[in-house]
Amino acid sequence: MLKSDNLVSNRQFLIVRSFAWFMLLVLGVRYFQIQIVEHEIYRLKSNTNRIRKVNKNAPRGLILDRDGEILVDNYPVYVLTAIPGEMENKGNQFKLIADYIESDSSIIHSSYKKYYRGRFIPTRLAKDMNFLQLGNLEENKLNLEGVYYDQIPERFFPNGVRAPHLFGYVKEIDRSIRKNLINKDAYELGDLVGWSGLEKQYETFLMGQRGTSFYEVNASGREVGAASELDDTRPIPGNNIRTTIDLELQLFCESLMRDKKGVILVGDPSSGGVLAAISAPDYSPDFFTGLITESNWKNMRTNPDKPLINRYVQGTYIPGSIVKMITQVALLKQDNFDKNRKHHCPGFYQFGDRIFGCWFTEGHGSLNLVEAMSVSCDVYFYKTVTQLSLENLYDTFKQFGFGSKTNIDIPNEASGLVPDKSYMSKRYGKYGWSRGVLLNLAIGQGELLVTPIQILNYINLLSTKGRSPNNHFVFVDNLPPNVKPELSSEIWNNIHTGLRSAIVSRNGTGKKSDPKLNDFLVYGKTGTAENPHGDNHAWFVGWADYNEEKYSIVILLENAGSGGTVAAPLAKKVFEKIIENSRFAAK
Amino acid sequence: MINLKKLNISEAPWKIIFSASFLSFIGLVALSSISYQSPSIAQNPFYKQLFFLIFAFLGFLITFFTPKYLIHKYAYVIYSLGAILVVLPFFGPTHAGTYRWLNVGLPFNFQPSEFAKIFSVLALARYLSDNTINIQYFKSILVPILIALLPALIVLNQPDLGTALVMVSVIFPMLYWSGARPFHLFLLVAPVLSILTAFNVIAFTIWALIIAAVIFYANTKIISGAGYFFGNIFFGLLSRPIWDMLNPYQQNRVLTFIYPEKDPLGAAYQIIQSKTAIGSGGLFGKGWGEGTQTHLKFLPVQESDFILSVIGEELGFIAIVVILITFGYLISSVIRNSFLSKDKFSSLSLIGLGSILLAHVFVNTAMTVGLIPVKGLPLPFISAGGTFLVTSYLMIGLIMRFSINYSD
Repeated sequence: MLKSDNLVSNRQFLIVRSFAWFMLLVLGVRYFQIQIVEHEIYRLKSNTNRIRKVNKNAPRGLILDRDGEILVDNYPVYVLTAIPGEMENKGNQFKLIADYIESDSSIIHSSYKKYYRGRFIPTRLAKDMNFLQLGNLEENKLNLEGVYYDQIPERFFPNGVRAPHLFGYVKEIDRSIRKNLINKDAYELGDLVGWSGLEKQYETFLMGQRGTSFYEVNASGREVGAASELDDTRPIPGNNIRTTIDLELQLFCESLMRDKKGVILVGDPSSGGVLAAISAPDYSPDFFTGLITESNWKNMRTNPDKPLINRYVQGTYIPGSIVKMITQVALLKQDNFDKNRKHHCPGFYQFGDRIFGCWFTEGHGSLNLVEAMSVSCDVYFYKTVTQLSLENLYDTFKQFGFGSKTNIDIPNEASGLVPDKSYMSKRYGKYGWSRGVLLNLAIGQGELLVTPIQILNYINLLSTKGRSPNNHFVFVDNLPPNVKPELSSEIWNNIHTGLRSAIVSRNGTGKKSDPKLNDFLVYGKTGTAENPHGDNHAWFVGWADYNEEKYSIVILLENAGSGGTVAAPLAKKVFEKIIENSRFAAK
Repeated sequence: MINLKKLNISEAPWKIIFSASFLSFIGLVALSSISYQSPSIAQNPFYKQLFFLIFAFLGFLITFFTPKYLIHKYAYVIYSLGAILVVLPFFGPTHAGTYRWLNVGLPFNFQPSEFAKIFSVLALARYLSDNTINIQYFKSILVPILIALLPALIVLNQPDLGTALVMVSVIFPMLYWSGARPFHLFLLVAPVLSILTAFNVIAFTIWALIIAAVIFYANTKIISGAGYFFGNIFFGLLSRPIWDMLNPYQQNRVLTFIYPEKDPLGAAYQIIQSKTAIGSGGLFGKGWGEGTQTHLKFLPVQESDFILSVIGEELGFIAIVVILITFGYLISSVIRNSFLSKDKFSSLSLIGLGSILLAHVFVNTAMTVGLIPVKGLPLPFISAGGTFLVTSYLMIGLIMRFSINYSD
């Protein structure tokens, strides 16, 4: 081991050692040149000329409606910044600034602490400066040290569309937010990031790319011009996104929902695009843009009407009669089910020792399946659902996408709930529940929970006989796949007959939704969902065939009473607007 | 069990570990200056460095107490292990667009290429110390080149040009030390210089004359001499048309790879700030914690690659000279011990490890003052950085072990 001898010569040793010392000497000479010979140049440079790097925020992409009208735009606001290293006495400076802009020095100080990144990096002191404030500051500039202005683009909403739940809002990044971002290197403090709604969903499209400028700064901190050694990069604005929303229809539906609680969704079943989406009550879309005071925020959060919730994707509701079509499908799928056989409705139904009432307590008399759909008779379904098992109903609900997210392009969607055997056993114990749950499920009561967007998808599927693409708000190339219920055309036709008769027959529950125009064919279903927390929720769901186009609609009014009397008339107004809107008619 | 007596601890050159510790102490002084604004202890470079120094010292003890014959015996095994280690990061997520780091479930990542550098040196030392090869022949130096090139090429793809260059550069002093003909080494470097000088007519002409002169003095056969000469000219003439065939964006990528200064947001900005910081420090510096340029915070790696800018600004030229002399003393001792070594394996290992240290010192120090393009190489013992600090002390352990002459 290691027996080969070291044969290095004196010459080799001297050459290698001299080479090593020579390299270090070269370094030493270079340091001598910079630190001693050229010291004066660099001393001046460090004392009198600093290069300041200033970021220019890129404007976010615009959000457009289906025809290219601007729904969400940018406008520039003035921001007051300070270079901490250039302020001798911060407390005093903050007091002066507070005087000039008529603000409080503690607010300025807290903003300073929030955005501070380093002694020579511009730090934000105040935002949304108006011209009066800027003028005051400019007049007194001699008293101030290291204070600058900056312009940043901010969101505004030129067409008066509110839809705060749809657009979502952007947030300024502060320390705590940046810590939790996934791609935190793409952002700096003070940048905007989409925090909810479309702003969040399409953040990578909308965000753009920040530009950077370099300035030479003199001894007193004034910018003396661009730094010649370094090139600036321009900010690259974000990409625009075109939504499926129709501006006019959206505005109209928003006006219908003023002072109401609930949801309106209007969709295009053949494309899956949503034409209008309202969650009421809402809040002003620029609520998060300006400075939010603690009390405003607290009011908003604790408001019992929950304006912050996006009801159509996050709200889960008991559907009531509007899911009777599911029961209908489940029944029609049974070979031994006779849809023409009449069942008698005396206004109630006894199951074991329990009495299940029909909503129409006087009783509907005897009716077949289509007639039962038309007047939404509960007893008909109590009687027939006994032919089904919980699996039959569960499978049909799942076939239409209930109990799962629809994957619409908006964050934080809820899944709703369709109970199956294991769920019931877990909740009530293995023997704690009976087939009585079927009676509740058959008329959309009980444990069932749906989101309005699931209902819109369900209506789209019914109207297109199972071929509707996934719901979406933005035109994109690849939609996630939608559920695809395969049913015989006989079953589809039976559903369409039932839903048409609910609008046009004499006792049809949805007849108040019909604008009564010859070629405008409305199909629909009302629902009055019993609500354990208060008055009934009113539903109207359906669609209209018009000029070879289809328009689907979902209306939910919370605690408003009966679907046929309050929700259906609202649907009529929406339908009339669609008819009136010439662009739709010409399409 | 290892017999401590047999390891001849008392003969160890203690000045080597003292020099390294002294440099680490200067590093800590600089780190404490830039650390006082750190929001938390976990992000505080000073405390992080102290923490890693414990591991570094443990690493030093391990290599110092490992018998030479074991290192010799397993040199190829750990070399292969190193080659596998540098491939592993490619299977993990990228860090800032590179595959240099390996997450091993600890709260920090580690950089396997740092270890691979040492393993290359040991494998080369073992190969070159083998009695059966005759290094005077050109073909005998091909295998060592392959040994050095394999991990270097992987590391180059991580991509980490600086570390790859260090891995390749150790081959020249080691070949020279083992008796290879300087002319052969010249032939190795020549094509690279032919390609680089080809972009300037005057430089290329001068270079061609130098090649001719060297070939003439090397007294080679006419035919091979002419082959070497025209081969190099051919290389040079070819590089220009190939370069022109590249798309502008490809050219740009190559240029920013070699010359990061082309990127105004990145390195060019760093170099200007770094030179201003160092130059404004003057003879005695601005004083500890007083560096205005340092506290600009515009140098993103001031605690690691640009630590010398901090020292230059705050402690001045005096401190730089002290650091350079300490490094010179350390490296010169390594070379001397290598010369005095009785066996060839120890001698070659020492010269290889010394070369790694010198390459790091030169590249890092030259980069901070704009002498050479920016390469992300830290300064041994002084820069903050976990893996590199530990490897530096592993090397010190090895150096001290190989410096003791004994037979086992």
